[in-house]
Amino acid sequence: MKPPSAAELERRKIVSINAETVTDVTSTDYPGHYPGEDHVWDLETFRSGLRIEFHKNEPLEASFSVIGVDASIANAFRRIMIADVPTLAIETVFINNNTSVIQDEVLAHRLGLIPFKGGREGLHTFLKWKKKPAEGTDDNNLFDYNTVMLSLNVECTHNEDAAEGETDPNKLYRHASVYARDIVYEPIGRQGQYFSGDDIIAPVNPDILIAKLRPGQCIDLTMHMHKGVGSDHAKFSPVATASYRLLPTIDILKPILGPDAEKFARCFPRGVIALDKVTRQEAAQEGSGYEGHEGELKAVVADPMRDTVSRECLRHAEFEDKVKLGRRRDHFIYLIESSGQWDSDAIFLESIAHFKEKARKIEQQVINMVR
Amino acid sequence: MSREQYQIPTGGSQQAFGGASGSRDFASESLGVMFYTCGDCAVRVPLEKGAPIRCQKCGARVLYKERTKRMVQFEAR
Amino acid sequence: MAPKSKSTKETVEDAGVEDVSMSEAPTSHQPNVEDDASMIDEGVEKEQEYDEEEEPEEEPQRVKLLPGSTPTAASFEFIDEGHTLGNALRYVIMKNPDVEFCAYAIPHPSEPKMNIRIQTWEGITAIQALEKGLKDLQELSDVVTEKFLAAKKDYAERVASA
Repeated sequence: MKPPSAAELERRKIVSINAETVTDVTSTDYPGHYPGEDHVWDLETFRSGLRIEFHKNEPLEASFSVIGVDASIANAFRRIMIADVPTLAIETVFINNNTSVIQDEVLAHRLGLIPFKGGREGLHTFLKWKKKPAEGTDDNNLFDYNTVMLSLNVECTHNEDAAEGETDPNKLYRHASVYARDIVYEPIGRQGQYFSGDDIIAPVNPDILIAKLRPGQCIDLTMHMHKGVGSDHAKFSPVATASYRLLPTIDILKPILGPDAEKFARCFPRGVIALDKVTRQEAAQEGSGYEGHEGELKAVVADPMRDTVSRECLRHAEFEDKVKLGRRRDHFIYLIESSGQWDSDAIFLESIAHFKEKARKIEQQVINMVR
Repeated sequence: MSREQYQIPTGGSQQAFGGASGSRDFASESLGVMFYTCGDCAVRVPLEKGAPIRCQKCGARVLYKERTKRMVQFEAR
Repeated sequence: MAPKSKSTKETVEDAGVEDVSMSEAPTSHQPNVEDDASMIDEGVEKEQEYDEEEEPEEEPQRVKLLPGSTPTAASFEFIDEGHTLGNALRYVIMKNPDVEFCAYAIPHPSEPKMNIRIQTWEGITAIQALEKGLKDLQELSDVVTEKFLAAKKDYAERVASA
């Protein structure tokens, strides 16, 4: 059997996006699917076919393309980033006094959701997991290596120096608004070595409003932080979200010229379609569709990555058989938005490590099962 | 929601957290005097057991009980 | 009772080289390492001898062979696994030429169980196919990590020189 042509290989990689349907969704690169072809798993083939390119790499946001991997693997990494990468968050709140209008449990819930940052080595290496005590028994498993203590102690009082007729409560009263920056970290035991100076445990965003108070009201509480995973409670998820999209493809089958080209460019976000002039050589080519149109503008795909695939161009009759939309099945553009405790690229690396560990543990279990 | 239900703190079990924390109003405990908040003028009214229920300042008969001084524990979930 | 201070072996690993020092992320079955210096909480000092727990002994059996399986056609049940591992395993096992059929299913979303069925041609047993699939996934992870780190370095250089 003839090996498939390059065009055929390209066609296989594309998910077709039509006006009302999406077709060719599942991957077909399995041995036996195409008779005579070899799609057996081979690490070296995978290694040579895999490409990763960064588009943006900041601590709170990272965007990169992973090309050459299957959707099941890409999705596994995404799921692990959201659910299985451990983070530190407030778990227990001990309220000594709360005379604000925010109910105790609501206040505790809000405190749990505040994202914190801290020294990397301390967070990842020094701090360990803490086992939950059995139902009903006391918790005597609190050590400096598994618990972080914080406290919040705010009282609202009148501000004597406020101007007369002042109406802004933040000026009329002191501590009328309780922000995340009012939370105080209390180092215990060896934590001082790991979390001091710049590495101190502090909220990622100090301007998070926790509660509002009026004179005479106070909040006095202590908090314990533990490590947890997103699958247990969303507050433990290290990412605001982690998502991926497939690279869109736009194929212009027949030339789109003149005012049609301008309209076509407006069907897509700016930068996706560029307008070039038809050259004499193109116009000279017979059967190209450019005859007689030298000097006119033609539509050309400039940057498909900016496309949001709204399928607007498929709604207009004049482009009906001139354009084909699709997505590349093996090109994943990840967007990882960290909530601040981990660096975005570190979260991805951690998720790959976690995936490998998962497979290793199950391998051990399978060996046990066979025994 | 069972976790947020009030757990009666026995002397020993909460010792780690409730032991030294929380201000104990020793004056009230030893004398049996409890403070209530007047409904109209919001002044703290000390009241003994068996005493008539009135605000000293404004004479209102609606008094609110103050929030407990005991420490309460919650899961931040 | 004054708190005793035993000398512990310092668990500071030479992690300073790369950003990510944790290659093997501890999951919730991490053993509690023996440590002193118990947390001083509200003035109550605790002192505990902490024995190192044995990790593998405690872990329950999470993979089961379902009844009605033959050496070349078997169904497995995984506890506490879902689409994350299931779909990825299915993909990599299907890439094995000796495998005739491979599919996974989650019987009910409220139970954390995942079933995989593997049917093989003559060459290998289903369990061997499963083991190979798991090994392939681990190798795959290593390649992705390697390429990711290279890409990250490359991008940093590109940004620095621009």
